[in-house]
Amino acid sequence: MIRIRNLSKHYGDLVVLKDVNVDIRKGEVITVIGPSGTGKSTLLRCLNLLETPTGGNIFIDDIPLLDKGTNVPKIRQRMGMVFQSFNLYAHLTVLENLTIGPVKLLGRTKAEAEARAIELLKIVGLAEKVYSLPEELSGGQKQRVAIARCMAMEPEILLFDEPTSALDPTMVSEVLAVIRRLSKEGMTMVIVTHEMDFARNISSRVFYMDEGIIYEEGPPEQIFENPVREKTKAFIHRIRSLDIRISSPNYDLYAIQAEMLTFCDKHFLPHRVSDFTLLMAEEVLLLQKDFSDIHLKLSYSEKDGTLNFVCDSAGEAFNPLKDELAEDDIGLKLIFGRCQTVDYARENNRNILLLKIKNA
Amino acid sequence: MLLTIKKHSSYSIIEAPERVDTLLAIDFEMALLDAGTHEDSNMVIDCSKLVYLSSSGLRVFLLVQKKMLAKGVKLRLCHLRPSIQELFDISGFSTIFPIFADLKTAITEIVNSDDLLL
Ligand SMILES: Nc1ncnc2c1ncn2[C@@H]1O[C@H](COP(=O)(O)OP(=O)(O)O)[C@@H](O)[C@H]1O
Repeated sequence: MIRIRNLSKHYGDLVVLKDVNVDIRKGEVITVIGPSGTGKSTLLRCLNLLETPTGGNIFIDDIPLLDKGTNVPKIRQRMGMVFQSFNLYAHLTVLENLTIGPVKLLGRTKAEAEARAIELLKIVGLAEKVYSLPEELSGGQKQRVAIARCMAMEPEILLFDEPTSALDPTMVSEVLAVIRRLSKEGMTMVIVTHEMDFARNISSRVFYMDEGIIYEEGPPEQIFENPVREKTKAFIHRIRSLDIRISSPNYDLYAIQAEMLTFCDKHFLPHRVSDFTLLMAEEVLLLQKDFSDIHLKLSYSEKDGTLNFVCDSAGEAFNPLKDELAEDDIGLKLIFGRCQTVDYARENNRNILLLKIKNA
Repeated sequence: MLLTIKKHSSYSIIEAPERVDTLLAIDFEMALLDAGTHEDSNMVIDCSKLVYLSSSGLRVFLLVQKKMLAKGVKLRLCHLRPSIQELFDISGFSTIFPIFADLKTAITEIVNSDDLLL
């Protein structure tokens, strides 16, 4: 159904897609995973021509998308795209959001469009919100409306660009459930996602993107259990960890700790250990001086039971373990008391603090 | 922060909240100072509900104790959960604060030592 050949996309000197070659068959559910910045969104946006590829071609049922003579609007209508940020029309009701496209672009009557819209809202579990405005909905509900709106355009292919990234963790599952339901109905879907459990469960094939290409692809069992290539292996290893970014001194400690707790629970760590792990996050952050770019990483290895917590921060070289100006060392005492080892390193102009947290 | 405070003739009992972290420490400090130092009475902090305590919280205990000592009144802690006790041990605070297993022993000690002074 979709054939991608020698697809490339450059932004000036930046080569985001180098040479992408892949086929997607009708009814397949493809998840696209990989480190951020490897061009996953770009690939999706090239697919429906939100971005103009630099080279190569894309064929939809043998129609070359990039050829001059191709009726682009018509082809684009066959693909629906769901974005991270919902993109609903704020001043229109849920129902109007779903009917405006079919009426204006597909030539449906208002009655037809409304009947179909209500059907779709039932499918995404929001029939009772027909007359609500987007602002009256939670993030998860907005995204489900966005999915229904996409479906209202009767696409043959659905593209999802990180559909749950902008959502509160509590709302992720309702959106994933809707996508899962659509996948069962035989819809062809390409989903860029960071939700690895979801990717593993829903996909017929997984594309791992890196180095400007589809670096490795295969059924979820292969990619998640037995990746073959070096970078895929490293990535899969890394996703067994939690990443949190901070960019201001007004970071949300409770949100960070909630995420860490979810991570600890997922790995069945004892409460005692998870409580102390949350404490380590607070203490480590209290030691920081520059909050412009902090990257916290929590990882757990089931193999040997090690729980590592890394605080990787930008700014001048500063070893908080040897801070002569500190008011006292109570925080450090707690950290040393609850960790097997605590190390500081300066790497690539960043301050790296590595804590091996006691797992008992 | 609303703390449960029970006043008695020679001491008051204050219940610590579930959580004292960096964001809540200032509130906690104010509440303790209000309850304790202004009244010039001995104070027992019942920590049975306390499950999360960071260095900021420990610092509050330290500061409140200092102020109370300066006034000649006593601060006692009791009923620490094991993980909180561990934090007191790690930080060396166990040696700075008189900690009692439960409320009753803490009160008995306060009352008795007051008697000794008389
Ligand atoms: N419109 C643009 N102009 C310049 N650079 C861009 C543009 N869009 C994306 N990029 C860059 O392309 C790279 C890949 O982006 P993206 O496709 O969003 O990656 P991913 O989805 O894998 O995180 C990033 O380095 C990003 O900064």
